[in-house]
Amino acid sequence: MRAWIKATAVPAIMLLALATSRAEEQAEQPTPERSALDAEVQGLRREVVDLNRDLFMLEEDLLFPASTQIAVFVSMDVGTFFDLDSVQIRIDGKEVSNYLYTAREREALLRGGVQRIWLGNMKAGEHELVAFFTGQGTHERDYKRGTTLAIDKGVGAKYVELRISDRLRKLQPEFVVKVWE
Amino acid sequence: MASRLNIVLAVLAAWAAPVAGSATAGDSVPVATAPELGAARINTLDPAGLPAVKIQDLHYGDVLFHFYARDHFEALVRLSAYREQRHLNPHARDAELLRGGLYLSLGQHREARETFERLLADTTTPAQVRDRAWFYLGKVLYATGHFDQSERALRAVSGGLQIELESERRLLIAQGLMYRGQFDAAIAELDGWQGPDNWTAYGRFNLGVALVRANRAERGHAMLEQVGLLQTTDPELRSLRDKANLALGYALLQAGQPVAARTALDRVRLEGPQANKALLGAGWADAAGGDYQQALVPWVELHGRDLLDAAVQESYLAVPYAYAELSAIGQAVGYYEQAIEAYDAERIRIEESIAAIRSGRLLTAALAADRGARSDWFAQLTSLPDAPESRYLYHLLAGHEFQEGLKSYRSLESMAQNLDGWSTSLGAFSDMLGARASAFAGKLPAADRRLAMVDVADINRRRDELRAQLEAALRDRDTTALATEAERQWLAMLAGVDAELAAHAGDTSFDEAREKARLTRGVLTWNLDAVWKTRVWQAQRAMRELDAVVYDARTRHAGAVKARKGTPERAAALAVRVDAVSPRVTGLAVRVAATKEAQGRRLADIAINELEEQRRRLDEYSVQARYAIATIYDRASSGAP
Repeated sequence: MRAWIKATAVPAIMLLALATSRAEEQAEQPTPERSALDAEVQGLRREVVDLNRDLFMLEEDLLFPASTQIAVFVSMDVGTFFDLDSVQIRIDGKEVSNYLYTAREREALLRGGVQRIWLGNMKAGEHELVAFFTGQGTHERDYKRGTTLAIDKGVGAKYVELRISDRLRKLQPEFVVKVWE
Repeated sequence: MASRLNIVLAVLAAWAAPVAGSATAGDSVPVATAPELGAARINTLDPAGLPAVKIQDLHYGDVLFHFYARDHFEALVRLSAYREQRHLNPHARDAELLRGGLYLSLGQHREARETFERLLADTTTPAQVRDRAWFYLGKVLYATGHFDQSERALRAVSGGLQIELESERRLLIAQGLMYRGQFDAAIAELDGWQGPDNWTAYGRFNLGVALVRANRAERGHAMLEQVGLLQTTDPELRSLRDKANLALGYALLQAGQPVAARTALDRVRLEGPQANKALLGAGWADAAGGDYQQALVPWVELHGRDLLDAAVQESYLAVPYAYAELSAIGQAVGYYEQAIEAYDAERIRIEESIAAIRSGRLLTAALAADRGARSDWFAQLTSLPDAPESRYLYHLLAGHEFQEGLKSYRSLESMAQNLDGWSTSLGAFSDMLGARASAFAGKLPAADRRLAMVDVADINRRRDELRAQLEAALRDRDTTALATEAERQWLAMLAGVDAELAAHAGDTSFDEAREKARLTRGVLTWNLDAVWKTRVWQAQRAMRELDAVVYDARTRHAGAVKARKGTPERAAALAVRVDAVSPRVTGLAVRVAATKEAQGRRLADIAINELEEQRRRLDEYSVQARYAIATIYDRASSGAP
């Protein structure tokens, strides 16, 4: 009876030893054929990233030339719990953005990311930007706050940062607007 | 029992690999559901690793937004574009560090390495940034298997890392040493090390494995026991605890301590990824003590589980073996027959699956199933299609090579979609440029007429004349120059009166009139003198306002002229860019499609090889079961015990 056990043990060893070889695969050198394919994938990825960079800039130059460009950014500076739901932006009475946030995006804002929420064009002169945000604060309290900004658009790009902050009044997040040139 | 020792040795060897590597080893779960262990930490760029930064340019914040939202591809594209547009200058070094990290997370090791090396070659790079660059360079080198160089880079860090990164650095050094078989050095690196709780647990696990591999079994067992007795609800640590108990159990079996081994193996959770190996080992531990009745308990439990698992396959032979040892020959034969039947059935399913994989069904179905849930290039499978071949997918995904291949395949698929999207956009860009050109041509005649009506030189000349008049009046203190229209009429009238009086010079009858004229002139002169300062101030202010208006008019005119001349030039330049980029998109799309096809074939090959290996193994088991039955019948017929 024991003889077959010895025999059966061999494949079992092979099976279980697979774990070792797999564990060490990270350090193994791939075959030349695999290497070539991996290198091709890496090369393509690099080229696609570069192409996307060029297209990103081309799109911006084409659709939003610097002379008329305006970009609105959203950031967060809240010390207490605040769950941002959405941000709505109107320029001269026309809605240009109504953005709903995912959990990952909320987290990204809380970590210090700044979202370019809208990129558009604006003629030189006086304009009005109205922004609202909605969300939930402590005790599941719903918030909706807004702000209005008079914009004097000159020649050259203009950047507006809408910071949702509770620094001015504790537990009361609101917009703090900063215009960057 | 020699066979059991062989199993023990093999399993122990499996656990002798550093914990980071073993994350993809014996687990039968895909990486997406196995966040435990170093591999997940080592292979991803941890956002927490970035230091807090005061945003000085919103564009850098936008890059961080996409990075923190784990959209690494978009973050890298934006970072590259903003860098080109010189938006990132205030954050140049941090941005460069992030760029290297993003390349690393996308698996672009060469670019990541070049980026970090460039940062380190720059002598002006601050020490803190250098430390992080050394750290990430060490990670790149580790990921590509250059453990010597990785260790040198990691040791070049001068102590400026955050605690999480510092812990990871320490473990990476130790794991690299273990991969090179330098267990004593790894022990020296980890012994007595204390980091944050989670990292300390990993450190102890690796230390335990290194000690066992360095033939210091007693301390190694104690270290693994520490991890195996962790009281925790953290899923990551619970998984690590299972691994520690499994490793400890098999190590104790090897050391001839089956009772202690059983205790360690009993601590492994019954539903975790290590459960099957633990159950198999628990049976062997009982069998080693001669308690085959007890050994049947874990082995029978295994018997009912998924036959794809190596431990389950093994149990199909172990159960009848135990019955045979208990002299329950009838049951032993029954279980052997059941094993043969199960192996045969599984083999047929494997053959069907191989056929399905050859026809491309497995890959298509697997990718289709999670398409909706996928948000980036490297998202993992979250659900599986309900197809016969799907049951092998988890098993295949446990293999590092298949996982990596699938990542590449998905990456290629995302690239293809990305290029397809741009191809459509470029068509729209061309249309847009055409529409703009015709709209411009339509408006041009009217614009030209309007421009022709404006004589900027004449406006300038008139403004200059006014300025000269004002300056002369100021120089000569000519109060009449700033007189109002009514005052001018009075002055003109007085001049007329004076002329009339001059014609009657010497006529005394005009003396009274002369006196009145003199008085009137005096009053006028007095009044003009009294308001002189006010009027000078008003005139100067008016002149400044005029200057501003003229400047605006001139600027607008220049802008209009420039736009008149520049718009077609700009449109032409953009058209050139669109035309230049179009073949790049098309060429890349063709290459991506070809590479994707090749990658699909490679994946199918990996899967088929894996399944054929499985089939061969089942064939072998089946032969062994048949041989065992034959042996039993043979002995029964010969009357042997």
